[in-house]
Amino acid sequence: MPESSSPDVVTFSPSVDTLGVDRDLVVADLGYRNGETPDMVRELVDELLPQLPSHVEIRCGFRILPSGSIDVAADSVTANGISFSMGPIIASQLKRSTSLALFVSTVGPQMERWSAQLMAEGDMMKGFLVDALASEVVERASVWLEQRVVDHVTPRGWKITNRYSPGYCDWAVSEQQKLFSLLPHQFCGITLTASSLMVPIKSLSGIIGLGPDVKRGAFQCSICELKDCYRRRDDPEPAKEKA
Amino acid sequence: MNELLESLTRCVERGKVDIKSPYPPDLKGQDGADEFARKALDAGIPPQEILSNGLIIGMQRVGERFRNKEIFVPDVLMAAKAMAAAMAHLKPFFQSDALKHKGTIVIGTVLGDLHDIGKKLVSMVIEGAGWEVVDLGTDVSPEKFLKAVDEHPGCVVGLSALLTTTMVNMESTVKHVKAKHPNVKVIIGGAPVTEEFALKIGADGYSSDPQGAVEFLNSRCTTN
Repeated sequence: MPESSSPDVVTFSPSVDTLGVDRDLVVADLGYRNGETPDMVRELVDELLPQLPSHVEIRCGFRILPSGSIDVAADSVTANGISFSMGPIIASQLKRSTSLALFVSTVGPQMERWSAQLMAEGDMMKGFLVDALASEVVERASVWLEQRVVDHVTPRGWKITNRYSPGYCDWAVSEQQKLFSLLPHQFCGITLTASSLMVPIKSLSGIIGLGPDVKRGAFQCSICELKDCYRRRDDPEPAKEKA
Repeated sequence: MNELLESLTRCVERGKVDIKSPYPPDLKGQDGADEFARKALDAGIPPQEILSNGLIIGMQRVGERFRNKEIFVPDVLMAAKAMAAAMAHLKPFFQSDALKHKGTIVIGTVLGDLHDIGKKLVSMVIEGAGWEVVDLGTDVSPEKFLKAVDEHPGCVVGLSALLTTTMVNMESTVKHVKAKHPNVKVIIGGAPVTEEFALKIGADGYSSDPQGAVEFLNSRCTTN
């Protein structure tokens, strides 16, 4: 259930148990494939997973812009008078959109404190795995939020595109400032530094194209030319490892 | 090579910390880096030889395998832990000059950027290659880098950034350091950084992976 809403600004605080975070997704993001994950890593992830509820404070939400308020050009999108220079790759994916959902999701500040504390105590491995878990939780929260956007706009006869974030596919991180200018102040508890870094660090933001004629395209990373991106995923849903 | 040193190399490469460590499973119950380092010293092997011909070789293999994506961050962390267990035995010899670092690198994530883990990983691999690492943390101002360079004459400077918005702060740091210490070498790295960018801002080196940083340090910056 949404926690608060104006007609088109909605926020949620989903429980981590509802997000489907599991060990296989985490170890796949670490690089392991085909059951080659060291037992120790699997065991540690299994030990940390049940501790997540006491360390995460998931908040996520979106704002739906009014229909017809956007203008999509070859390499940019103008929304509410603000021009996003996201480059031709993302702009082409949004071309049939009549509106945008601007979204954020965060795991809250406690996960990074937990990770830092473990590392300061000399347990680099656990600290690193907590960091990896936090990345997975915020990713899963964003996937969960996408479905909430679908639920919200389906009655209007709209569909959604993939989600796109500043910092990916040639869209400059600095454009976070424009994105956040269209959201309520400290939306979901997230602030931006002068260098456009979100605080808490384990947060995601971005846009989703909306409209009757849009469709989800290929998996986001498959359309991007940044082959060395540190967040690149070759496979959005890696095969499960054997327990 | 001495059998004890070969065992040490293997323990670092496999991340076998000590006899109590259950990891890796096939070495369970066997001595680890901790025990082999003690045994090597007891056998009269000079500390420098233990470091150079045992530990550093193990960590070099780890760095190369990580670069080739044969192993991943957790494996590097276990290797670093094994290395640290062995180094605990060698530490006193640094004070007596029986053991010397190859040099010192002052490393930090640049101003405006709070990302720490990649820089920590690089630091561990560099330390495992026989270098002293002075880690200034994250969000480090050019002034703080300069102060550290003043305090560690002859050091190398390592700059990390994860965002395109913060990598621009590498340029001001390089300028700040080079203005006062033109001979100090600066190496940069991080997800958005490229060799072209390194050249443009006047850095001396760039690496996309930890082992590349070690290779730069060993080839361009060694004094010992």
